[in-house]
Amino acid sequence: MKRRSLIQKSLAIGSMASTGLLSHRQLFAAGPVKVGVMIPMSGPAGLFGPSAKNCAELAVAEINARGGLAGSPIEMIVSDAGVPPAEASQAALKLWKGQKVQAFIGMHDSAVRGALVGVFKGQVPYIYTSTYEGGECSAGTQVLAETPAQQLEPVIPWISKERKLKKWYLIGNDYNWPRDTNAMAKKYIAAAGGSIVGEEYLPFTTDNFDASLAKIKATGAEAVLITLVGGASVGFNRAFASFGLSDTVTRLGTLIEENTLAGIGAQNAANLYSSSGYFAAIDTPAAIDFAKRYTARFGAQAPPLNALAQSVYDGFLLLEAMANKARSMDPQKLEAAAKGVSFSSPRGQTTMQDRHGKKDIYLARADGSGFKVVQVFKQVGAGKNC
Amino acid sequence: MLALVLSSVPHLSDDFRAYQLGTYLLYGVAAQGVALAWGRAGFLPLGQALFFGLGAYSAGMVLIASQANATLLALLPLAVLLPAALAYAIARLVFARQYVSGPNFSLITLALAMLAAQLANQWSGLTGGFNGLANIPEIGGLDRYSTVYYLIVALVVASTALLGWLYRTPLGALWLAVAQNENRLQFFGFATDRLKALAFALAGALAASAGALYATQQGLVTPQAIGFELSTELVIWTAVGGRFGPYGALLGAVGIGLLSAELRDVWIHWQVAMALIFILVVLRFPAGMAGALQTYGRRLWPRSWMAGAESLSSQSAAAPNYLPAPPRNRAADTSTLEPIRLEFNRVNVRIQGVSILSGLQLHLRGAGIHCIIGPNGAGKTSSFNALTGRLPLSDGDIHFSGRRVSGLRADTIARMGIARKFQIPSVFSALSVRDNLCIALWGNRANALQLLQASTWRWRSTLWEFLIASFPFLETESDRHAGELSQGQRQMLELAMTLLMEPRLLLLDEPCAGLSVAETGQQTDVIKRAVTLIGCTALVIEHDMAAVARLSDQVHVLHQGRLLASGSLADIQGNPDVQAVYSGGQK
Amino acid sequence: MDASAVTLALNLIYHIAVLALVGLGLGIVFGLLGVMNMAHGEFIALGAYAMLAVQNHGLAPGYGVALAVLGTAALGYPVERWLVRPLRSRPLDTLLATWGLSLLLRKSIEAVFGRQYQNVSNNLSGTSTLLGAEYPDYRLLLIVVIFVGFALLALWYRRSPAGARLQASVANRPLAQAIGIDVDRQACVAFVCGVASAGLAGALLAPLVRVEPLMGMDYLLDSFFVLVVGGLGSLSGLAAGSGIIGGTQVVVSTISDQTGGYVAVLLLSIGFLWLRPNGLLARR
Repeated sequence: MKRRSLIQKSLAIGSMASTGLLSHRQLFAAGPVKVGVMIPMSGPAGLFGPSAKNCAELAVAEINARGGLAGSPIEMIVSDAGVPPAEASQAALKLWKGQKVQAFIGMHDSAVRGALVGVFKGQVPYIYTSTYEGGECSAGTQVLAETPAQQLEPVIPWISKERKLKKWYLIGNDYNWPRDTNAMAKKYIAAAGGSIVGEEYLPFTTDNFDASLAKIKATGAEAVLITLVGGASVGFNRAFASFGLSDTVTRLGTLIEENTLAGIGAQNAANLYSSSGYFAAIDTPAAIDFAKRYTARFGAQAPPLNALAQSVYDGFLLLEAMANKARSMDPQKLEAAAKGVSFSSPRGQTTMQDRHGKKDIYLARADGSGFKVVQVFKQVGAGKNC
Repeated sequence: MLALVLSSVPHLSDDFRAYQLGTYLLYGVAAQGVALAWGRAGFLPLGQALFFGLGAYSAGMVLIASQANATLLALLPLAVLLPAALAYAIARLVFARQYVSGPNFSLITLALAMLAAQLANQWSGLTGGFNGLANIPEIGGLDRYSTVYYLIVALVVASTALLGWLYRTPLGALWLAVAQNENRLQFFGFATDRLKALAFALAGALAASAGALYATQQGLVTPQAIGFELSTELVIWTAVGGRFGPYGALLGAVGIGLLSAELRDVWIHWQVAMALIFILVVLRFPAGMAGALQTYGRRLWPRSWMAGAESLSSQSAAAPNYLPAPPRNRAADTSTLEPIRLEFNRVNVRIQGVSILSGLQLHLRGAGIHCIIGPNGAGKTSSFNALTGRLPLSDGDIHFSGRRVSGLRADTIARMGIARKFQIPSVFSALSVRDNLCIALWGNRANALQLLQASTWRWRSTLWEFLIASFPFLETESDRHAGELSQGQRQMLELAMTLLMEPRLLLLDEPCAGLSVAETGQQTDVIKRAVTLIGCTALVIEHDMAAVARLSDQVHVLHQGRLLASGSLADIQGNPDVQAVYSGGQK
Repeated sequence: MDASAVTLALNLIYHIAVLALVGLGLGIVFGLLGVMNMAHGEFIALGAYAMLAVQNHGLAPGYGVALAVLGTAALGYPVERWLVRPLRSRPLDTLLATWGLSLLLRKSIEAVFGRQYQNVSNNLSGTSTLLGAEYPDYRLLLIVVIFVGFALLALWYRRSPAGARLQASVANRPLAQAIGIDVDRQACVAFVCGVASAGLAGALLAPLVRVEPLMGMDYLLDSFFVLVVGGLGSLSGLAAGSGIIGGTQVVVSTISDQTGGYVAVLLLSIGFLWLRPNGLLARR
């Protein structure tokens, strides 16, 4: 690692000299920039840890090859964010104060996000990348995470028309992300001429969905909006199909990614749609190339790409864009630079607006053992958050 | 000393190490509560995070509200007192319905913790829901990253000192007795459900105070502070660290907790290492890390403070300025002037179709020793069980000096002046002989305050002196664990303990079982003299006719749950019905 | 007949049957032997993963069931011999030891299969219409298998000599030992059978549920509650507990919602545990 960064530093200096940009950049890089990566390595979301870590490593390697952040190479330090918020905030504090980490990229749940925001208090740049409920406006925080507005506002009208869906059943786990999502979804459904025939929130511990399925059947729902997470999503979807509902009822989820789909199983995934900012199956040149680079680096048996893991990669891209625009790692300058900064990623073009990322949204349908993108919604804003 | 060590951490290391240590110290205090309930009092709380979380949420709410109105800070102690009261209520309610601990208490606490986590998640208006109660201000303006640590250290020192002191008081011994033989303890007149509830209330208070400081240290309380996962971790830390003393829990929480936090980011297989540590601790070090430290410490430095006291009461034996025990609490008694009356009135006990007592009619009056004999299965021990609340009556009732005793609890009956000795000698095996005797002496004598005083260890009574004289081993072996005594010695110990209660009615169930001829003579001698000394009535179940002959003023024969005959021994021996029963002529 | 009422009835029967199936292993190990096996859920997970392994190699599901039962039994023997037996007299210590074991098993599963969700395919994925209600075939088959299995088990336990010996050593171990029953060997066999039933449960449920390393925890909690509410030490206790817990969950979830069902189960469990500390039909 040390030798590589030395080589990269000399390369950077060499290229700087040759292009004559010496006067505009730091002559001597001030040592590596430490970036803290908070991803869940244990707990229920721990299954995303390996793929997220890989994406982070890939991002770091590629950015360093391009000159790093404002000329300094990145040294990434991974910390487990799958632990209770108290422990996660301590881990972050240790990285920040102890290891002098200068920026954080976090892909974890909102409770941990709240704890970290409370620890950082805007004094260190913090990029939050996983899907969430919207509304994060704290100083120093940039949010790449998809909001319900992004994932549903263009999608619901399109799919309602495409599949002729009028009666919607909303089902999610009982916490703020599903509730906030459904609150917004209701508006979009009404605007598309549909109606809500049922709304249900399940405790995290539920593994028996029969009562909910019976209700879905009884109300004659034509579509189900799923905001269940993790194991509940897998269990629900399996049971859903076993009752024969998948042939007549369309399912739409906003957090159904490749791992969840694998658990659901192809035979249970008929008429299952997912709305997200990324799928491994996206066939734009940028996405295909990204997938190739991932496989080249980590092998064919590597943990499969998914939206949550890939969001970490995008987080690094955003940090790179901010650092290069600000030409420094100073938190104030980065904060200013983040306004309106834009970068292109395997997902397409992302532009920061109001602390959130305006980006392309993909609607995919489960197909065999993976997803197939059926519609792209370009440059969807994240809605009003701050 | 603990205070010194802990206070120096921020100076030796740095502030955020102290911050991290602080959180685990708080968990450690909550774990000390688990150790108190589990290691001391013998019941396992599987949902202790309930109280930790309640303390955290309450304190958080008070602190947030106090930003608008500073006088609300006065409500802060409620954050500790309310959970403690809840703990007491839960334990009293649950333990009142059963006379020994089972897994149901553990599961009730677990279910309550799960319920609380669900409610914390759901009542997001009150608790902030999944994201938690955020923006909790620092208490009194103290910086949470530096000064709050000292508050935490203060709490740790206070809790450790409190527990250390409590463990050495008579109450501490009573808790150990509850864990070892709760059934027996009730027969000395102790309301064991109240003792356990007290332990649980204290455990709840510890957890809640830790939770309250946690709220201000973190600034955020999420449902994870009140649910199943944290409860389980507390139990694991206590088990690994050592549940038999206050330091073990701290060691476990800080050691294992911090170790996990460090290893987690460095080594991908840290959980496997943790699992192997658990298994190793359980198989090799049942007293946990603290126990292991103590054992090795004792071997290396036998005279040091690590060796610990041999038995709780030995501290008082060293300074023999004994105090006379106060007289037995006679409030629950009937008048002592009246001779006692014991009446079994047509008592029927039927269990699953089998008739254990059928229409037992027995009236006793006045002092003296009555022997109860009869073939096996006649219902002798069952009559004792029915009398002392261990066997519910199907019909009829039992009166003692005009008061109805059938249906009362064992400890209530004991406090009425009825003492019982068991068929199989039942003592507190992991306590020393002297501790056993002390406990018997305190029954129905010591009030709550006296149970907290060290001077209570020094109580002695005239009867105690008499018993020491009659059974010398009680003095010479006084530091030995009761479980290490021979069968005969245990019989004598239990007899001594029963007599120390100075009851009005003495129930002895085969006091000479398993004794040699010489020992039987010694035992019966003591019984006769003690009965005269105390002036009580004795009911003795015996098979040994020689003992019966020596002891009895009156003999009663039970057969198939009924009274067959009563009278002097000679009368009984001459009774043809009795002869037929004993020689098998009658069924 | 009203289709939704039939569905509700079938859901009820199914849920109770599954709770009984899942609880059987722990009922044997904890109820009869007094071992608090915190790794019970992981043995169920192993059964499910056995089905996955067989599926990945393209073999018929029958082999999966066999592998699940034999594999968990093979694992059960060393666990009983070296972890459980030395701690016979210290039940709360077995709790910690088996907790460590559950961690180890979970990590082993992760190491071999990875952390991601797996899919065990359902070869009987159609539905049948029963009295007007459409119900998954696999579930109907499972209900029948469970009921028949339990009937046979009850018959064996009550009528066979081996069952009588087992009942004897549960009721009074020293006495059973005194009359010549090899209680150690019997405890070993019972433990192995207990974990093997857990493996069987996992294998049978795998096509219906989510399969991932953390799947065991829910089953553990459910089983503990079912057993302690229903009463330890007897099949009827297991049945009673399953009936109470399962029935409450299904009925309340249908009338109100899942949260209500969850809370009702917890409250009911607390109520039963408080009012009947030894369970409804205790035999120990």
